[in-house]
Amino acid sequence: MKDFFSYTSDLFDPSRIKDKPEILKGLRVIDFTHVIFGPTASRILGNYGAEVIKLELPFYGDLWRPATYWGRYWKHSNPIWHFITQNKYFVSIDLKLPEAKDLVYRMAKDADIVLENFAPGTAEAWGVGYTSISKINPNIIYLSCSTYGQYGPMRYFPGWDLLAQAASGVLSLNGFPGTDRYYKLPDYLGDFFPGNLGAMVLLLALYYRNKTGKGQYVDLSQTESMMRILYHFTYHSITGEALGRTGHADPAMVAASIFKTRDGRFIGIACGTEKQFEGLCDAMNKKELLQDRRFSDYFHALQEKNAEELRTIVGEWVKVTDCDDIVRLANEKGFAAAEVMDDKMLCEDPWRRERGSVILFNDEMYGELAIAGPTSQLSKTPARTKWLARPVGYHNRYVLKKFLGLSEEELDELQRKKVIGTFDDKPGLKPPLYYDLEKDPLYNYGREVAK
Amino acid sequence: MSLFRKKEKEKVYTRYSGMADVHAWRGVVEKLSTPEGRPDVLDDILVIDASYANFSGIVAASLFAEFGAEVIKIEPPEGDPCRKMTPYGRNVKGVGIPFIFEGRNKRYMTLDLQNKPEDRETFAKLAKKAAVVIETFPAGDMDSWGIGYRQLSETNPGLIYIAITPYGQYTKKAEEFRTFPDSDITTQTGSGLAAQIGDLPTEPEPYNWPLRAGMWMGWYITGLGAALGGAAALMYRQKEGEGQMIDVAGMDAYACLTGIPVSIGYTWDKPRPRIGVLDFILYPYGHWKCKDGMVAIVASRDQDFRALLKIVGRWDLEDDYKFTADRISDIIDQAMALHRAIEKKTMKKGADELTMKALKYAVKAAQSKWRGGGVPIVMRVMTPEMARNQKQWEIRKSFMEVTDETLGKFTISTGFVKMTESPPKVKWVTCDIGKDNDYVAEKYLS
Repeated sequence: MKDFFSYTSDLFDPSRIKDKPEILKGLRVIDFTHVIFGPTASRILGNYGAEVIKLELPFYGDLWRPATYWGRYWKHSNPIWHFITQNKYFVSIDLKLPEAKDLVYRMAKDADIVLENFAPGTAEAWGVGYTSISKINPNIIYLSCSTYGQYGPMRYFPGWDLLAQAASGVLSLNGFPGTDRYYKLPDYLGDFFPGNLGAMVLLLALYYRNKTGKGQYVDLSQTESMMRILYHFTYHSITGEALGRTGHADPAMVAASIFKTRDGRFIGIACGTEKQFEGLCDAMNKKELLQDRRFSDYFHALQEKNAEELRTIVGEWVKVTDCDDIVRLANEKGFAAAEVMDDKMLCEDPWRRERGSVILFNDEMYGELAIAGPTSQLSKTPARTKWLARPVGYHNRYVLKKFLGLSEEELDELQRKKVIGTFDDKPGLKPPLYYDLEKDPLYNYGREVAK
Repeated sequence: MSLFRKKEKEKVYTRYSGMADVHAWRGVVEKLSTPEGRPDVLDDILVIDASYANFSGIVAASLFAEFGAEVIKIEPPEGDPCRKMTPYGRNVKGVGIPFIFEGRNKRYMTLDLQNKPEDRETFAKLAKKAAVVIETFPAGDMDSWGIGYRQLSETNPGLIYIAITPYGQYTKKAEEFRTFPDSDITTQTGSGLAAQIGDLPTEPEPYNWPLRAGMWMGWYITGLGAALGGAAALMYRQKEGEGQMIDVAGMDAYACLTGIPVSIGYTWDKPRPRIGVLDFILYPYGHWKCKDGMVAIVASRDQDFRALLKIVGRWDLEDDYKFTADRISDIIDQAMALHRAIEKKTMKKGADELTMKALKYAVKAAQSKWRGGGVPIVMRVMTPEMARNQKQWEIRKSFMEVTDETLGKFTISTGFVKMTESPPKVKWVTCDIGKDNDYVAEKYLS
């Protein structure tokens, strides 16, 4: 039999991903979502091959388009927007106009999934909510994303990732005990995590529909999603105490904390088993700790006072040891240790490049950009990036002509009435300056273009 | 309690209200709020969770179990080491709190895969009937024991085999770090999360160090990644009858979930600093001290920011922060000056008062074209214990009080998504080691 690692490197070979089948090929998704939470759920469907039609307001676009880190654009676009809206069809229609609603209803007839994350009640008020769409297409799967959910006294509260973090308790947990120093989870994690959960739920709803023929309505709240991951509620109900903030330390694992090394780098260390603790003691040349009553078994070593003393011992050792040596020892002796990776280290990490967790994607409009791969690699039907974000309304002609069969005259009429439109001359909304849209066959779908 | 109470009028804080079809909508909400007894989407599949000392496997298995899969957790007679991972060693009869929390609808069977060849044979028999196997052993170990994806898929071509490790199943590094143990904190540091939490570089040590997110964020992202990949593979299995292998690397967790570190690392060509309570894109978007705790405030769009200045009584600042760019944190001193100016004002008021003021403003703004639709939002920063007691979650059944013969009474958070047809449910929480040995033997092995 072949050696295991040559078997797996064949199985997962990143260069063959594009030839493998897409699970959701032919699936049509109408995507009313904006900012990050909803778009992440639909993006993942797009990664698996679904046709995601992202609807935006003409000339204005998604609120998040211009929202870039420290206001820095990359080729007149928002660099993080490319990850969030890859593989999507960008159609811009003005939902306030009856003609636009008519287009949506026509699209909904043979759509499989609809997503929205307006403030609760808005989609219903606009006549594009579940009650309206399910009349046209009873087997539709409809996902509404919101901060507090679609019913309950807080449902009309406006929301953001940060508010979900505040309302669920996660915001209060990242920081130092006995101080006011605490911080939100970074990078809108309160959107990305629930967004991924939403994609999973949609896949299961599809699975259910394939079995029973029934669609359904899904109400996903980002606050509830974040509460789902806190064992703190159980801790409180059992011990009568609040777990609260614990600084750099993980109170649930032996010797687990973030430490500063001799060479001024930062490293996370933990022992998940008694055997791993032996490995750590061995690495520190402190085998005598194994005889120490304080650390005699896993539960003992976790007790508040013992754990603190153990972290001091480990911290002293890390302080006089280089980061690379600790990682090497961890691998040799068998305990967990990983350096704190920053943006640049992650982006340039050869392991991630080889694995396909960081992809140097070459886009027809934007050229090369590093894009993150999926959180799990599938051997037969992998997720993939096919194209990056596009300007507002870029796929108007393509989608409306090809999918809805509109004629040139109808398109002209819609354009004239401003039911559909493209982009204002603003970064985040428009194509890169050097890019000649007149020569783009997709943008001009159904029209002759100069070569 | 009825969800639509008598004459109490609901407050609407946005421009749009009114329903296309109130009657139909009420029917939908009735269904959403009564998950009990509704179908289980995964009631036709068997999931075997053989994860060991890696909580992300348990998380993935829980998600399948909540959606109705039959999940059998396999562990050696002394139990999965995850049973012992618990804050300060607090446990109930030897079971740690995180393990109790994730013990949802699962069967427990003892098999010593690491040491006993005959147990491996039993496992292989069981895996013939499974749709999903989850394991977290060093890459290649299961294969060398004759129960890896290669061998199991020969007799069960529909098998979805999810392997979770820090560095994955392929690449040179995966081989070199094959036996590297997994943990939440190393997932947080190694996948880019810790680098973005912590105070400004100018603050004293250790506050300016990279910081751990105060929950098992690394393991939950990894577990969700595994379940999401598994759900996708289930779709393919349903259509084509074929399974596949899924490789989840813990060190991908944060970087691949948000994608932001990767694209920023590439376009900026340098790492971001840690910026404490500020935000890189939005401002104001953070939390401030108030008279009775802390409030989170989002007032990031220009109209929201101006509304906030009105609410806290600092309209005089409008001139200094005229442009959106004036508020962005790339000039940290300027952003911090604004932060402190707002804090001086919020300190004088209570969280509820500030929340109500903001809501009132938003309601008025929604009706007036002169206020530009500003929706400043204020929310009390709650501890999990405070969140637990909110009416919203009581009505939405987001928590469950459960009672177990062995473990006693405790609370878990459930119902993270509401669905009209096939919602997730928690039916039992018992997690005694080997409690279902006989059940499994009879149902699947005879």
